Amino acid sequence: MEDAELDLSPAHSDQNSPSPSISSSPSLSLPSTPSSSCGPPQATTPPLGVINEGVAELSLVIDAEVAQRACQEVLQKVKLRQVDSDSTLSQSEEGPDAPPSDPEGPAPGSVKSARRRQRHNPSKQSWLLRLFESKLFDVSMAISYLYKSKEPGVQAYIGNRLFSFPHEEVDFYLPQLLNMYIHMDEDVGDAIKPYVVHRCRQSISFSLQCAWLLGAYSSDMHISTQRHSRGTKLRKLILSDELKPAGPRVRRDPLALTPFCPAAPPTVSPGPLGGDHSLSPTKRTHQRSKSDATVSISLSSNLKRTASNPKVETSQDEPVRLAPQREFIKSLLCIGKRLATLPTKEQKTQRLISELSLLNHKLPARVWLPTSAFDHHVVRVPHTQAVVLNSKDKAPYLIYVEVLECENFETSSVPIRIPENRIRSTRSVENLPDCGMTPEQRAGSFSVVPNYDNDDEAWSVDDIGELQVELPETHTNSCDNISQFSVDSITSLESKEPVFIAAGDIRRRLSEQLAQAPTTFKRDPEDPSAVALKEPWEEKVRRIREGSPYGHLPTWRLLSVIVKCGDDLRQELLAFQVLRQLQSIWEQERVPLWIKPYKILVLSADSGMIEPVLNAVSLHQVRKQSQLSLLDYFLQEHGSFTTEAFLTAQRNFVQSCAGYSLICYLLQVKDRHNGNILLDSEGHIIHIDFGFILSSSPRNLGFETSAFKLTSEFVDVMGGPDGDMFNYYKMLMLQGLIAARKHMEKVLQIVEIMQQGSQLPCFHGSSTMRALKERFHMSLTEEQLQLLIDQLVDGSMRSLTTKLYDGFQYLTNGIM
Amino acid sequence: MSQVEKKAGLLRRTSSSKKPLKEKVVLMYDEIFAKEDPAKNNPRFWDELFLMKVNLEYLESKLESVDGEDVQRIQDNINSLFHHCVQALGEEHQIKVVNALQTLCALFRGVHQKNKSASGFDIINMLMGFDKAEQRMKDLMERLDSLLCGDSSESLKSLCLKLLLCLVTVTDNISQNTILEYVMINSIFEAILQILSDASSRGQHGYDAVVLLALLVNYRKYESVNPYIVKLSIVDDEPTLDGMGMVVHQALTEYNRQYKDKEEENQGGFFSTLTSMVGSMFIADADEKLSVQTNEAILLALYEAVHLNRNFITVLAQSHPEIDIAATPTTTTPTTPTTPLGTTPPSLDMMSNPELPLDPNLQTSNLLITFLKYASIVMQDTKDEHRLNSARLCLIILTCIAEDQYADAFLHDDNMNFRVSLHRMPMRHRKKAVDKNIPSRPLVCAVLDLMVEFIVTHMMKDFPMDLYLRCVQIIHKLLCYQKKCRIRLHYTWRELWSALINLLKFLLSNETTLLAKHNIFHLALLVVNLFNMFITYGDTFLPTSNSYDELYYEIVRMHQVFDNLYCMVLRVSTNTGQWKEAASKVTHALVNVRAIINHFNPKIESYAAVNHISQLSEEQVLEVVRSNYDTLTLKLQDGLDQFERYSEQPKEAAFFKELVRSISLNVRKNVSLNTLSQDVLLKEFSTIS
Repeated sequence: MEDAELDLSPAHSDQNSPSPSISSSPSLSLPSTPSSSCGPPQATTPPLGVINEGVAELSLVIDAEVAQRACQEVLQKVKLRQVDSDSTLSQSEEGPDAPPSDPEGPAPGSVKSARRRQRHNPSKQSWLLRLFESKLFDVSMAISYLYKSKEPGVQAYIGNRLFSFPHEEVDFYLPQLLNMYIHMDEDVGDAIKPYVVHRCRQSISFSLQCAWLLGAYSSDMHISTQRHSRGTKLRKLILSDELKPAGPRVRRDPLALTPFCPAAPPTVSPGPLGGDHSLSPTKRTHQRSKSDATVSISLSSNLKRTASNPKVETSQDEPVRLAPQREFIKSLLCIGKRLATLPTKEQKTQRLISELSLLNHKLPARVWLPTSAFDHHVVRVPHTQAVVLNSKDKAPYLIYVEVLECENFETSSVPIRIPENRIRSTRSVENLPDCGMTPEQRAGSFSVVPNYDNDDEAWSVDDIGELQVELPETHTNSCDNISQFSVDSITSLESKEPVFIAAGDIRRRLSEQLAQAPTTFKRDPEDPSAVALKEPWEEKVRRIREGSPYGHLPTWRLLSVIVKCGDDLRQELLAFQVLRQLQSIWEQERVPLWIKPYKILVLSADSGMIEPVLNAVSLHQVRKQSQLSLLDYFLQEHGSFTTEAFLTAQRNFVQSCAGYSLICYLLQVKDRHNGNILLDSEGHIIHIDFGFILSSSPRNLGFETSAFKLTSEFVDVMGGPDGDMFNYYKMLMLQGLIAARKHMEKVLQIVEIMQQGSQLPCFHGSSTMRALKERFHMSLTEEQLQLLIDQLVDGSMRSLTTKLYDGFQYLTNGIM
Repeated sequence: MSQVEKKAGLLRRTSSSKKPLKEKVVLMYDEIFAKEDPAKNNPRFWDELFLMKVNLEYLESKLESVDGEDVQRIQDNINSLFHHCVQALGEEHQIKVVNALQTLCALFRGVHQKNKSASGFDIINMLMGFDKAEQRMKDLMERLDSLLCGDSSESLKSLCLKLLLCLVTVTDNISQNTILEYVMINSIFEAILQILSDASSRGQHGYDAVVLLALLVNYRKYESVNPYIVKLSIVDDEPTLDGMGMVVHQALTEYNRQYKDKEEENQGGFFSTLTSMVGSMFIADADEKLSVQTNEAILLALYEAVHLNRNFITVLAQSHPEIDIAATPTTTTPTTPTTPLGTTPPSLDMMSNPELPLDPNLQTSNLLITFLKYASIVMQDTKDEHRLNSARLCLIILTCIAEDQYADAFLHDDNMNFRVSLHRMPMRHRKKAVDKNIPSRPLVCAVLDLMVEFIVTHMMKDFPMDLYLRCVQIIHKLLCYQKKCRIRLHYTWRELWSALINLLKFLLSNETTLLAKHNIFHLALLVVNLFNMFITYGDTFLPTSNSYDELYYEIVRMHQVFDNLYCMVLRVSTNTGQWKEAASKVTHALVNVRAIINHFNPKIESYAAVNHISQLSEEQVLEVVRSNYDTLTLKLQDGLDQFERYSEQPKEAAFFKELVRSISLNVRKNVSLNTLSQDVLLKEFSTIS
């Protein structure tokens, strides 16, 4: 694929391919390079197209070139600024606003002056360049410079430099990149676009991700501007599926050749086209693959499954690229919308199950869950397992999804459909008379069984097999004496010796087995999710696997996802990013704070998907079901104080508490009730629902003044306020805060960039960023920080003690 | 060609005004029935013939009036007519195709009408000529197949199906219809499937296609190898199976709806003013009218699908969002679940369809639920033959379902809860159940409810023994599944127990009358063994420990019934007679029940004596039961959890033969009506072309 591309590109790069990129970004290198001694840009600027389509190594080489030629002078300036901030570094003790490597420090005015100065100081020009080329220069810095630098040259350089970073690293900042693309000026947009377009060509998943995010982050714009905004245009471009990968796969499609230049061999570039489509630099060579070609393939066929209709798969191997997944997501969202119209939970659940069972008909297909970490195809939705989650007027729901892991979901072939009841399909064949059979034989094969005969015959063989699968393992040894009896009884028929059983035994077994059975929650039509979430994940996986026609495949996996309709998940995504960032900072600094960022997929400004936290129930549920204090629950679940299991769970609890306490403080996470805090099976707590962060808080909850939630129950689990673990907790928080402070920029930038053009409540007011920055307390010494932590913890505990006192009053007054 | 057309048009126009000219086609028929080759004088004879509007009555009566002698004489011409009909099916001109189809209808019918007694071979000879028959039928079937599968007009497809239905039902006994041998060889199975798999064609022709398939499957079912059986049993294409399910679903839903309407009509009107006694008579009356329309053909199709095709079982549970409320337009046009995802953007769909589901009465339904409702209606009244057959077929279908592992799995699936409002017979001694309060439960509860309902409502002089047996066996099969899989169903077993005990009571009190006709001991044995299931294996499937106590309580409470039963069977088994063996089986089966009664009765009495209580409360009895288990020994009985699997052959063969016969008659009646009124169709084509 690459080879083919490289063959093509040089052929026209000279005449054509630069033109689109240059035409759209002439300011990129020219105006800002008054003293440039370079030749005409057409000749020297390597065609972006080549970079785009080339291998990473190749683009790296060219990047350096670009950097040298196009950005040199600009770099000088920035370098200069660097010097400025270096000089301010000495003063940084006094002002909290001067981080060591913060290039943003100087006001715009000083940038201008810097620029002026820089012209006279060409000697310093290579410093920034050296930084950019150094190994330390990572994505985070790139994003930061991209955002803060006002120099088109720097922006363009970074835009190119993006190509050299690993995909995953850039992907993390995708919301930031796209938000900049949408809301910042032309130059930033132009710098980002080639990279985005390039990645879109490579990956369906990336394309969709971009399209969704672009849609979501454009939504805060005024409707009139939104329609014509860059973001909307790019989104349309992506969704129009014009950004197809170049390569043999396209060529394979015979349909593709017809609409455009039917006679033209791929290498002949139709000149005029290049000018028309300024959007995609290397487009004309791929023109054949344009969506027009595939439009003829009806959308309907995309999700049409393949087993019963293999023709679809073979003849239309590459249907519209993005369509299946889009349809899949769309149908999931649609189900959510329809559920919201139903009045009762029960109806919602029924409807959900029936809708999903219809969805199953279209699976397997080339669709996947974007929240998953590995490539896969969705093969089945075990529809009866889906549950509607508790919500007043919306209908978020949790589905489990069976997938088959694969090498690459774009190229691996879609699994063949296996009918729901695969076991019996073999039987119906075997049951069938062959055409050559005599009537007697046939009659025999239809009427299966003689009268009360032995067991195996009465239930044909495969039934037995099926049953054994269905029987939970625990039962087979503990209480299979009954089936033992049935075997006995058959032999006794011959020996004529009656078998006696005591009625008391039967009754006893019944109550024992009922007691033995794992405590499942009673099915409550008003809270259908409780039962589903209670079941341990492994058990659920095993159960669903047994019931699935795909369960026998080695690549079978079970995933789950929460589909949310009518909820804005952009804040959740922001929180996820911050959590992820802090997590990696703590990891990097080797401080053992534990947090669990859960993946968020923003589909639009009011819909999305959430990766559920496995094996976790809310503190509320724990309390309600167990009727125990948190400490007693820990003792019950993990063993007594001295056991290793308990100590491990306790340590986990402390580490997660420390992590989330810091998170709650830094992000000002509010609305922390027990339903929003989960407890997993290892003792970790996990905060969910970041609906109120930063500047937003629920109106009615004025009393939630403490920095974070630290109830006495928490402290009890840690061993009381004087215990070692509690000190460990505070120490962890201190270490965590110090580590976070060290990398504050990385955290701030995530939030700051997302503030651009955003109407999210968490950015309400003007002081969001400043307040956030202040919470890192850059100016404090470590001793002071320690004091601060103590204060925060004390404050949180005090607010709880008062509450406790109130509760005590309440109880002693005889309500219990 | 166009000239001919004009001519035809002219002819028709004049024919409407003047009578003699209208008979042009008749004249041509007369020519065929003359000795001469009609094409001899007029080489365009056949061309012209198929441009004429068919006169079915005349043609058929003509065929009927042919005498034995004449047959030989005109056979060539009839063969020729048949041949040209088949040829005309390939014509581009649709009027010709229509006329040819209708002519074929008339030919098949007329020839059979005439030769009711004649052997199939004679008929084939007369229609096609023996030597050419194979080729002719092959051509015919191929043409029909391509018409059905091609993109010809819907009315044309409909007519094709009508012709096939006409051909299939032309004899009373389908297996005597020798022409079908050729339909077996030249299968149109695939065409039928294609119709069913496509949403729009299913909507228009699904019903005919399903009925046709059901009938074809029953051709010489027991004597030879029927390729339709073979093919039907291996279909695994879900859209197709689903399509079939949808058609059945639709038909049954329609019936349920009509019944409900009728019922409401009756209740809303004068009924309320009359006494309930008279009122129930009127209801029965209304039922009678409806019962005429019970749709055995569709039920047969459902049976064949469930019985033959294992994959179809999944379709039963395939739920469709259904609007139960009558008169919504959705019931007339089939819902289209197989529409590929999002051919229209779903979000748009939502917006453009504001009247979507906001109805709180909206219930998700599936084929099984609809079927259960249908069965509950049909079973209410089994007096008339049709309904008895329908009820029997319903129970047979349920038997098949209860035996199927997959079906059992979803019947018992705790995640799939539904409210199933079964129809209950209005009876004097009980109030009509309030529909609204039905809890949402696994589907098996509805099946059990239906069985219990049947048991309590059919204890009558004209005892439907066969239905009772099936009913009890279905319960038994479900219990066996629960025992095997250790499923503890939260069901009010007490209702079942008391229904069964009442049934025993009824058998006892009507022993003499019933014994004249039935082997009541077999039924009694099955019922007692159900109790034995609960007694010996209750620990594996009862939902609570309390329910086991309640079982004992119920047995002890109703001990008199068991005592009497024991006396009766003991008496019969000690006498010599035809029931000796059957009765002695029941005595053996009663051993544990009697042990329980003999064990607990004295304990309860002494408890009452000690505590000086004359009438023990239920709680007190339960207490006695609980504290005295340990001294009771039970005997393990053999084979309680085994059952005879359903097999159609040989036991049910006679029933199905009769059923198919009655369906054939019914379909024939309806088809003839339909095919005769094809003027609309003709007009459609004449205006189009």
